[in-house]
Amino acid sequence: MAAITLRDIEKRYDDTLVLRDCNLDIADREFVVLVGPSGSGKTTLLRIIAGLERTSGGEILFDGARVNDVDVGDRDIAMVFQNYGLYPHMSVYDNMAFGLRRRKLAPADIDDRVRRTARMLAIESLLARRPRQLSGGQRQRVALGRAIVRDPAVFLLDEPLSNLDAHLRVQMRAEILKVHRAVTATAVYVTHDQVEALTMGDRIVVMNAGRIHQVGTPAELYDAPVDRFVASFIGTPAMGFIDCERRANGDRAELATSSARITLGEVQAQALSCANAGNVTVGIRPECLSVASERDAAAADVAVRGTVQVVEMLGAEHYVHVATEGGSLTARVPRHQRLRVDETVTFVASSRDVHLFDRETGRALR
Amino acid sequence: MMDAAADRRGGTRRTARVVQYVAIALALVWSLAPVYWMLATSFKTELEAARLAPTPWPLRPTLDNYRGLFGGSLPFLAFFVNTVVTCLATAIVAVIIATPAAYALSRARFRLRAATGYAMLVFRMLPLVVLLAPLYLLLLNARLLDTHTGLVVGFATFGLPFAVWMLKSFVDAVPIEVEEAARVDGYRRWQILFRVVVPLILPGLLTTGTFVFMEAWNNLIYPLTFVTTLEKQTLPAALVLTFTGQFKTDWGGMMAAATLTTLPLMIAFFAVQRSMVRGLTSGAVAGA
Repeated sequence: MAAITLRDIEKRYDDTLVLRDCNLDIADREFVVLVGPSGSGKTTLLRIIAGLERTSGGEILFDGARVNDVDVGDRDIAMVFQNYGLYPHMSVYDNMAFGLRRRKLAPADIDDRVRRTARMLAIESLLARRPRQLSGGQRQRVALGRAIVRDPAVFLLDEPLSNLDAHLRVQMRAEILKVHRAVTATAVYVTHDQVEALTMGDRIVVMNAGRIHQVGTPAELYDAPVDRFVASFIGTPAMGFIDCERRANGDRAELATSSARITLGEVQAQALSCANAGNVTVGIRPECLSVASERDAAAADVAVRGTVQVVEMLGAEHYVHVATEGGSLTARVPRHQRLRVDETVTFVASSRDVHLFDRETGRALR
Repeated sequence: MMDAAADRRGGTRRTARVVQYVAIALALVWSLAPVYWMLATSFKTELEAARLAPTPWPLRPTLDNYRGLFGGSLPFLAFFVNTVVTCLATAIVAVIIATPAAYALSRARFRLRAATGYAMLVFRMLPLVVLLAPLYLLLLNARLLDTHTGLVVGFATFGLPFAVWMLKSFVDAVPIEVEEAARVDGYRRWQILFRVVVPLILPGLLTTGTFVFMEAWNNLIYPLTFVTTLEKQTLPAALVLTFTGQFKTDWGGMMAAATLTTLPLMIAFFAVQRSMVRGLTSGAVAGA
C-alpha cells in the first residue's frame, strides 16, 4: 500500500526534454492509467516511478517519503514489462520465487505463496515449464504472478497487453482488474490504447509530448476534455473538429462556417464571451451526430452539411467520415441509413453536445 | 519464340550452376589438399615420405609414425599435456576476465565507453610479434619466463580483446527487461550478472572459450620465445623444434604429430561452429 506523489518531474536526455512539469497524486490502492501516443513520455514516467530511470528534476514521494535516491530494489514495487521480462533459464516456479528468495523468506513460505498465486491465476499446471514453452497469454499470467507474489506496495504495468491478440487482450483486462481487486497494491498502468484506459482506470492521466494534459475519471475525460488533444485522443472514433467564426444572431450566440450553423447554449455562450476568443474550433463526438433532412436541419441547434469521404462498415453501424467547410467530422450512423461516397449530407446535433476550443491554444472554453 | 527464350534461360541457369560447383570444388581442393597431404604422409614409411618424387597416397600404409610418437625418445605426451593445460587455462582465465568486462561494455554507461571498446579492437589488430618484446620483458621481470603460467599470461593477453568483444555481442542479445526484472526483484548488478546474465550466455562463454583455446593452441611464436625447456614446450613449437634436424627431416613423424595436433582443434571447432557464427554475426540483423 502506498500513495504516490510526483512533484514537478522533469527528465532530460542530453539536450532533449522528454518530461516536464509532471505533477500527479495517486491515492493508495488506486488504479491509475497513463495513456498517450508513442513518445508521449508515459513509459519514461512509469520507469521513473519504478526507479529504473533517474529524474533530471522534481521529487517522487511514496507515502510522503522522498524516494528519488532509493534503489529500485528497495522501493517495494513490482513491475510487469511489455515483453514480460521473464527469466528464460528458469521454470515458472523459479521465476515467481526468484524475488522472494532475494528477500530471504523461508522455503516453505515461498512455496506457499507461489502456489497460492499460481492457483489464483490458474497457472498451477505450468509451474515446471520454462517461459519458451508457454503461449503469449500464459507468459502474461506468469509475469503477473511474478509481480503479485511479492505482495508489493506499488504495482507497475508497462503496456502488458500489447503483445496479445484482441480476444486475449479483453480477457486479460478483466483478469488484471480482478487481480488488482484481490491485492492491496496501488497500480499504475501504461497503455497507448485509450479503450484499455477507459475500461480499466479509476483515473486516467492523458500525456502528450512529455506533458500531462489532463487527469480525471474516464467520464470526466470523455465529457469534459480540457483541450483539443485530449478531446481527439479519448473516444473511438475520434471527435471531429470544425473551425468556425463567431456571428451575432439577435440575442443568440452563434458560430458558423459556410456549411455549418451552431447555435450555442447559455453556458457555452458565456464561456465564449469570457474567453474572448475570436477564432473557435467546435468539436462534436461521432455518436452525437445524426442524419437529417434540410427541413429538420433548420430547426436544429447544430446543422452541418458536408460531403461523404469514407464509409466504414462495422456490423451494426457505419462510421461516416464527412468533409465540411472548416474541418472534418465522423458520424456513427445506423446500418439501415445507407450513405454513399461523394454524397452531400446534412447532420444535426444538440448544442449541449458541442465542445468549444480556442483555435490558437487548443484549450477548452468553458 | 517463348520456348526458345525458356531454353536460353534454362541454359544460363545450368551454366551458372556449373560455374558455382567448379568454384566450390576449387576452394575445397585448395583448403583440403594440405590436410590430405598431412594425413597421407603420416601413414607413409620414412623412405617413402622423403622421396623426391612424392607418391600421392601411401604405397605401404604404416602406423609406425604414430607408434614412434609415443614409444620414441621424444616426450610427445608431455607436449600434448602442456598444450592442453596451457590452452585450457588460457580459455578459462580469458572468459573469467572478459565476462564482467563485456557486461560493463554492453550495459554500463560511462564516459569513454565506446573509446575503451575500440581501443581493445585496435589492440587486437596489432600483429602478435609487436607484443613479443614487451611481454618478454614483463615475464622476465615477473620471473615467469619458461613457465606455463607465463605462457598463459601471454596467450590470454592476445586472446582477451577478442573474447571481450565476442562476449559483448552475447550480452547485447540478452533482453534488457530480464535484467530490469531482476533489479525490481531486488538483485544488485553483480548478482544479476552471475545469476541471470551468465546462465543466459553460457553458449557464448563456451564458444568464446573455445575460440581463445584454439587461438592459443595455434600460437607458435610465444612458446618458442617464452619457453626454453623442451619438456615444457607446446605441440606446435615442439613440432618445429624436434622434427627438423640439420641433416634430415622426419616428415612422416612430423605429419603424424601434426595430425594429432590438429585433431582436438577440429573437434572443438565442429562442436561450437554454430554458436560461433551466431556470436560473430549477432546484432547484424534485427532481432538476432
